[in-house]
Amino acid sequence: MAGTWTASRLEVSDVRSWSRLTVDLPPGGIVLSGPNGAGKTSLVEALVLACLGVSCRTSREAEAIRVGASALHVGLELTGPDGARRRDIGYAPRTGRKLSIDGELVRSLGAWRAAGSVLVFLPEELRAVKGPPAARRRHLDRLLEAAVPGYADDLVAYGSALSQRNAALRSVRAGRTGVDAVLPWEPGLASTGARIITARRDAMRSLAEPFARWLADLGGGADGIMGLEPSPTSLADVPDTDLPAALTERLEAARDREIGAAQTLAGPHRDDVFIGQQRGDGVTDLRRTGSQGEQRTAVLALLMAHRDHLGARSGLPILVLDDVLSELDPTRRGLLLDAAVGQGQCILTTVDPVAAQAAADRGARVLSVREGLLAA
Amino acid sequence: MASILTPSVDALVTELARLPGIGPRSAQRLAFHLLRMPSERPQALADAIAAVVDRITPCTQCFSFAEGDLCPVCADTRRDPTVICVVEEPSAIMSIERTHEFRGRYHVLGGALSPIDGVDPEDLRIVELDQRIERDGVTELVIATNPTMSGEATALFLADRVRDRLKVTRLASGLPVGADLEHADELTLGRAYLGRREI
Repeated sequence: MAGTWTASRLEVSDVRSWSRLTVDLPPGGIVLSGPNGAGKTSLVEALVLACLGVSCRTSREAEAIRVGASALHVGLELTGPDGARRRDIGYAPRTGRKLSIDGELVRSLGAWRAAGSVLVFLPEELRAVKGPPAARRRHLDRLLEAAVPGYADDLVAYGSALSQRNAALRSVRAGRTGVDAVLPWEPGLASTGARIITARRDAMRSLAEPFARWLADLGGGADGIMGLEPSPTSLADVPDTDLPAALTERLEAARDREIGAAQTLAGPHRDDVFIGQQRGDGVTDLRRTGSQGEQRTAVLALLMAHRDHLGARSGLPILVLDDVLSELDPTRRGLLLDAAVGQGQCILTTVDPVAAQAAADRGARVLSVREGLLAA
Repeated sequence: MASILTPSVDALVTELARLPGIGPRSAQRLAFHLLRMPSERPQALADAIAAVVDRITPCTQCFSFAEGDLCPVCADTRRDPTVICVVEEPSAIMSIERTHEFRGRYHVLGGALSPIDGVDPEDLRIVELDQRIERDGVTELVIATNPTMSGEATALFLADRVRDRLKVTRLASGLPVGADLEHADELTLGRAYLGRREI
């Protein structure tokens, strides 16, 4: 184990309904309990802002600023494998984001994230199982960005080479230029694409076993299966070392057809993740045919597997489960609490006093949140 | 906006603010600085700008800056016409000239390929480069486009086009001279490793 991430103090100014609040967080399990609209998720959002530099609820950070305030600020004392650090994030619509660690300005969001780790589960994360392939890719990419150095850069480079090639394909189709304008973008696509696929395969290999274990532990049944569904599917049998050549060949073979379509039809930008279960002689695809409850359990198993993965590499991240408990039956809720509370720091929110009590019974500290007030 | 000082000062501030890296405040500061100087200095600046606007045309051969038909490099008969260094913009020529290593001539493409921004091969001076290669019996093309994605793609495009006719080389990417290895970023260090040579 590479250590554990623990938040010890959170200072919030002008985030959503909170004008000013300082809260000391104990290690281990924490339950934020209170009625709807009390500001539980806003506290979670503040914590995520201070770890990831972006909001988990909106892509426009301006929405997170308290109405009537001009800027938000969150301070966080966070202890990681390398020791304790003070993190500050300020955001104002005019000047943008300002990040600092121990009072020193941090310019790159990547560096900021590398120095703080949190895994968040919001109710809409269910998309990571039942949503479109893009949602599953994003989930996987987020994990890889945190765990594999250079992965984020490769994703960006792949994305721009892809946009350039697609634009060139459009130009060719429109007769503005010749086919050879498409070629120079392909080596970049093949080399970054191969690295992306290799990293995704590695992640799948190390996630498949914990996913199956967590699925069983959380009451989802035995024999969970998880694996990469590469695009094109023919890449599945290509060894890592041959990937650049295989991608180059594919781009070449598909070029004429892709000029007609004016887009690159296959590649890691179309990868999907299979999430299913062996049942009897057949395999059930939980993405498409799982019930709401089965899908929810699968997402939680995926999240816990991600947490283990990061735990073994960059330190066990803080686990945030927003409004999950009330949607589970008492048995599954108990199983989830057994899994989450007691291993590293875990912050849960709930409107349900019974669920809060169930967490308290397992040693979690309950903080009661009511209309901008916090009481232990 | 109504004029706060005088129309001519306002016009000067507006024009200065169009320059890269100059915001409204810096433009104002520069304008006041010019007004405080003895009048011959701003006059010399104005004359220099006017002369450039008046006399500079693209070199008919390499498309760098010229006064008259040819730029100083193309006009210099001691430079080797059979080796051409391809750059995106004239500013790159200055950098390469400062090294005193290159004795051939240049060719300015006028940018780099970027289909997203509507820059296709037809928008760069590639046909003109082909003509020079034929006419001057060029034996080596040194591609010095920027080491960005666009620059690399442009380099590949050119190389594929002329490789069967002549020698094509690309400027090496690697470690800055006089710097510590530990400060190099992974990408640069990775390139430097791939481009290592025997000593």
